[in-house]
Amino acid sequence: MLLVGCSSSVIVESSFPSPLVEALPVRMGVIFDEELYNYIYTEEIPDQSVWTIALGDANVAMLQPLFSKMFAETRKVDGVPIEDSGLDGVLHPTLSKFEFDVPAGERDKFVEVWMQYQISLFEPSGEKVVDWPVSGYGKSELTHSREDAVQRAAIVAMREVGATISTKFAQQPQVSYWLGEKQHGTTAAVESGATRSGPQVSN
Amino acid sequence: MERRQPWNQAPPEAAPKSATSVSHSHSVSGKTAGIWLAAAVGLPVLAACGVTSRIEPYKQTDAVIAAGENVVILARKQHANHEAEEDFVQCISDSLAQGKNKIEVHATKDFEDKMYPWFEPSTAPLSTDDLTALLERPGVRDQVAVTGVRFVVWLDGSTDRVASGGGITCAAGVGGAGCMGLAWWEDDSRYDISVWDIKHLESAGTINGDFKGRSVMPAVIIPIPFIARPQAHACKDLSEQLKQFLTSPQGYGAGPDPNLG
Repeated sequence: MLLVGCSSSVIVESSFPSPLVEALPVRMGVIFDEELYNYIYTEEIPDQSVWTIALGDANVAMLQPLFSKMFAETRKVDGVPIEDSGLDGVLHPTLSKFEFDVPAGERDKFVEVWMQYQISLFEPSGEKVVDWPVSGYGKSELTHSREDAVQRAAIVAMREVGATISTKFAQQPQVSYWLGEKQHGTTAAVESGATRSGPQVSN
Repeated sequence: MERRQPWNQAPPEAAPKSATSVSHSHSVSGKTAGIWLAAAVGLPVLAACGVTSRIEPYKQTDAVIAAGENVVILARKQHANHEAEEDFVQCISDSLAQGKNKIEVHATKDFEDKMYPWFEPSTAPLSTDDLTALLERPGVRDQVAVTGVRFVVWLDGSTDRVASGGGITCAAGVGGAGCMGLAWWEDDSRYDISVWDIKHLESAGTINGDFKGRSVMPAVIIPIPFIARPQAHACKDLSEQLKQFLTSPQGYGAGPDPNLG
């Protein structure tokens, strides 16, 4: 009863490492919209408190270095369609679901966080290639501060999301097909250019 | 070659100073009787209090750490219901890096960051075959070389309260306050260590440790806790064992007598 009216506030802040992966040979635009930048999750837990968890800065801190390392070239864009950009595709990440659990019993030791991002891949023309849901789970020991434990669990979950995106993106069937098309298109364009330039050289 | 150590009984740690000082500060009538009563209850209780330990090291290669090579301590995080505690991982890291025969230890977080995303819970190699496949990925072997890590030490397990019982009743009145009774609890620190040799891409062996600690708190007027700390014992003993493991070739320590059996 004493906790009625209490609130817990967490601002998830962390630096995230760049992934140790080979860059995919495509130029990608990335939409970081206001919703992602300013994402705040609020939930009232009965008999505990109102939780406010701000994830906006961490979203960008996690995704920006990730995409920079995953693709040959990345560029921020405002939206699709985008004409004459020289881009192969556009990614639009959103945070679609967030759940967390703070143990109430003495025997439960871990705070848990689960989150799901939606990674949407578009052609520069605006045609959607795929919506890919990516989830991450993190847990952290409940020590002296519940807020700290929630923050640590959220960071573990976000690292998991980053790990999945960087290692599994190219393996998604639609993405794999799309990448194949782009590479084929590039190869065809090069060959076509060579064929066109060939006679000119010989002449 | 496997070496088994029998269960060892370590004495309980002394009660916290604050509790001791409190026990000396109270003053009631019948003080002598209280002391005798406390002794009568406390001595058998003390006999049941302490830490029992068992360590089973198994080394299957003669690999030892060389100058300029590091180890990294990583917690296994695949389990839903337990995970080696962060402060325990830190304790093992610190203990290896200090004292006699100290070993160069690469910071866990820094290693996980440098190798990201390959040592996250969902991507970390579960076997040396997985490790071999991981090191064949572009850039991974070079990055491991940058860290200088030769041995990956996987830590799995946790410390849990496995039993508790008894009870203490306290009462207060005009003439004073006091407690009477006995409470006890038992913690189990069970940790399994797997050591991987990155240079030879093989498992170097394992060390399994089980430390059980029973704490008791008799109360005669005031509660006096005798707290066993199995996790602290586990950190100290496993670190020492790990130091031997990493610095001595196969068959380190007193193994079984080859003439027997």
